[in-house]
Amino acid sequence: MSTNAAKNLFIYGSLLCFIVLIVLTIDTMGTLDKRAPVITDKVDAGKKVWHKYDCIGCHTILGNGSYFAPDMTKAVERKPKGYLKKFIMDPRTIKADSAMPVLGISEQEADDLIAFLDWIAKVDTNGWPPKPILVAAAAGKAATPGQVLFQQNDCSACHQIQGLGGTAGPDLTRIGLKQADIEWHIKHLKNPESVVPKSAMPDFAHLNDEELKALAEYMVTLK
Amino acid sequence: MKYQSQKIAVNFYTAALLLFAVQVVVGIIAALQFMWPDFFILNFNTIRTLHINALVVWLLMGMMGATYYVVTEESETELWSIPLAQLQFWATVIAVTAVVVGYIVMGVFPQANIEVFGTQLLNEGREYIEAPRWADILIVVSVLLFLFNCLMTVFKTKKFTAVQGVLLGGLTFLALMYLPGMFYTKSMVKDQFWWWWVVHLWVEGSWELIAAALLAFMLHKLLGADVKVLAKWMYIETGLVLFTGILGLGHHYYWIGTPKYWLWVGGFFSSLEPIPLLLMVWDAFRTTRETRVAVPNKIGLYLTVAHAIFNFVGAGLWGVIHTLPQVNKWTHGTQLTTAHGHLAFYGAYVLLIVAMIYVTLPSIRGVKEFNQSKGYLAFWWMTISMVFIVITITGAGMVQTYLERLLGLDYVTVKASYNLWFWIFRAIFGVGFLVGVLILVADFFTLGKKPLPAK
Repeated sequence: MSTNAAKNLFIYGSLLCFIVLIVLTIDTMGTLDKRAPVITDKVDAGKKVWHKYDCIGCHTILGNGSYFAPDMTKAVERKPKGYLKKFIMDPRTIKADSAMPVLGISEQEADDLIAFLDWIAKVDTNGWPPKPILVAAAAGKAATPGQVLFQQNDCSACHQIQGLGGTAGPDLTRIGLKQADIEWHIKHLKNPESVVPKSAMPDFAHLNDEELKALAEYMVTLK
Repeated sequence: MKYQSQKIAVNFYTAALLLFAVQVVVGIIAALQFMWPDFFILNFNTIRTLHINALVVWLLMGMMGATYYVVTEESETELWSIPLAQLQFWATVIAVTAVVVGYIVMGVFPQANIEVFGTQLLNEGREYIEAPRWADILIVVSVLLFLFNCLMTVFKTKKFTAVQGVLLGGLTFLALMYLPGMFYTKSMVKDQFWWWWVVHLWVEGSWELIAAALLAFMLHKLLGADVKVLAKWMYIETGLVLFTGILGLGHHYYWIGTPKYWLWVGGFFSSLEPIPLLLMVWDAFRTTRETRVAVPNKIGLYLTVAHAIFNFVGAGLWGVIHTLPQVNKWTHGTQLTTAHGHLAFYGAYVLLIVAMIYVTLPSIRGVKEFNQSKGYLAFWWMTISMVFIVITITGAGMVQTYLERLLGLDYVTVKASYNLWFWIFRAIFGVGFLVGVLILVADFFTLGKKPLPAK
C-alpha cells in the first residue's frame, strides 16, 4: 500500500465511521425519553443537587463515576427513602462509621435528590445491575415463617446475617444474644424510634400481629 | 537548539511535570482515604477531582509543549508568534490555578458551589470535566490561540508534513470534542451520553492520533528512519484507531439507558481496539531494528518503545478484558475500571509525554550527550510501582466483582473488609511511584546542565 492510499483510507474511513456515529446518535436521542420516566421539575432540581455536591466524586451512577462509595442507580430500591433522607442529611448520626461526610444538604435538597434517584432507578438500563446469583438462588428456600418475612420485606438490604446483606443498619447475626425479648422486637418493628431514639429504620406497622411475632421470634433465634 | 521558539516547550514541560507531582501526591492522599476517609482536610471527592484533573491538564500541557517543538522543527521556522505562545502559556497557568482554588474552596465550603447562569460556579460535578463553564470557555480560547499559532507557523513555510497533519488534526479534533460537554441536559442519561463523547473521543480518539504522530516524530528524530515509511504506518495506525475507536464508544452505552443495539456496536468495535495499538508496538520495534545506527539518546528511544508497549498493555489488553457486554455486565463500575484507567493513562500518555521530554530536551538545551542514568532510574521506579498498583487494583476489582456482583455482598463490606489489603499495598506502591516522579522532576531541571564525567 502506498503512503497516499494509506492517507486516503485514514481520512475517508474515519469520516465514514464518524457519520455512522452521528446517525446512531440521532436514532438514540429519539428513543431515550421513552426509556425513562418523565422528568419533573423536582427531578431536575435533584439532578442539580447531585452536581452541586459533586456526588460523582465518590459515587457511581449508572455505573459511571468514582469507585469510593456505592453505586446510586438503584439506591431507592435497596434502601427505604426515609432512611436515605436522614442519611443524606446527617450520615454519621445514622451510621457512626460511615465514610460519608456531612455536606450541609438541606431537607429540600434531600427531597429533590431522592426524587432524582427515584427517577434514575426507573430508567431502562438493559438489565444492569444484574441480580447476584446467590441472592437469586437463596430466594424461596427459607425454612421458617420469620425467615420468609425477612426476605419478603427485603430486610437484608440494610442488615447483615452471617456476612450477607447491607451495612446501613446493625448486623443481626447475634441479635438474639443482644436482645432476647420478643416483645421488644415487636415494639421495635412497629415503631423503631419508640425503643431506639433517632433510629432511621422505617416502621413495619403494616404487618399484622402474627407476622410481627414470627419476625420477632426469628430475631431471638439469631445467636 | 535551532529555533528560539522551542524554548516555549520548556515552559509547558515545567508546568506539566510540576502538576504531575501534585497529581501523584493527591493520589496518595486518595489511596489513604480508602482506609481512613477523614485522613485529610479535603474530602475524597475533592481529592479525586484534583487527581484526575491534574492528570488531564498536565498531559494537555505536555502535548502543547511537544507540539510547539514539533511544528517549528517540521516547518523549519520560528513560531508565527512567540509572544502569543507565551501569553497562551501564562493564561493557561492562571486559569488552571483559578479552577484549582475553586475546587479547594468548594471542598471546604460545599455551599459555595452556587448556581450561576444555570451552571455551578466552582465545580460542575461531572467526572473529568468538573471545571466550571467559565473555565471551559477559557480552555477553549487557550486551545484556539494555540492552534491558530501552530497553523500560522505551518503556513509560513508550507511544509505540510504527515506528522504535522495528523498532530494538528488530532488537536483540532480534541478541541471540537470538548464542545459536547458544554451544555446542560435535564436527563442524566443524555448527560452521560454526551459526556462520553468528550471523554471517550478524547482518550480513545484524538489523543491516540496525537500519540501516533508523536511516535512517528520521535522514531524519525532518534533513528533517522525513512519519513515516508513512518508516515505510511502512521496513517494505517491512526486509521485503525479511529475505525475501531469511534464506534467503540458504544462500550460506554451498554447500561446507561441507551438502546440495546449499542451492545452489538460497542462489543464488536471495541474488541478490535487493541489491534492498532499492537501495530504501534511492532512499528517501534521494526523501525529500531531496521535502522542500525548508533543512537546517542538511548533513554529517549527506551521510553518511546516503553510507551508503545504500555499503551498496548494498559489501553489495549486491560481494556479488552472487560469490554464485551457479557463480561462488562458484571464488572461495570468496579475497581477493574480503575485498574484499566491507571495503566492506560500511564502507558498511552504519561510515558508519551515523558518520552517526548527526553527526546526534545537535549536539543533545546543544546547538548548531544547527557547523563542518562537518572532517566532510567525514574522510569523503573515509576513503572514497577505502577505495575504493582495496577495488580493490586485488578485484584480488588476481581474480589469486588465476585463478592458484590456475583454473590450479592454489600458494597461497603467488600470495600472495608475483603479489599483492605489491596488498599494498603496500593498506597505503598503509590509512594514508590512518587519517588520515581521526584527523580524525573529533578532530572528535568538539571539535564544537560552539569558537565559529564570524563570517560
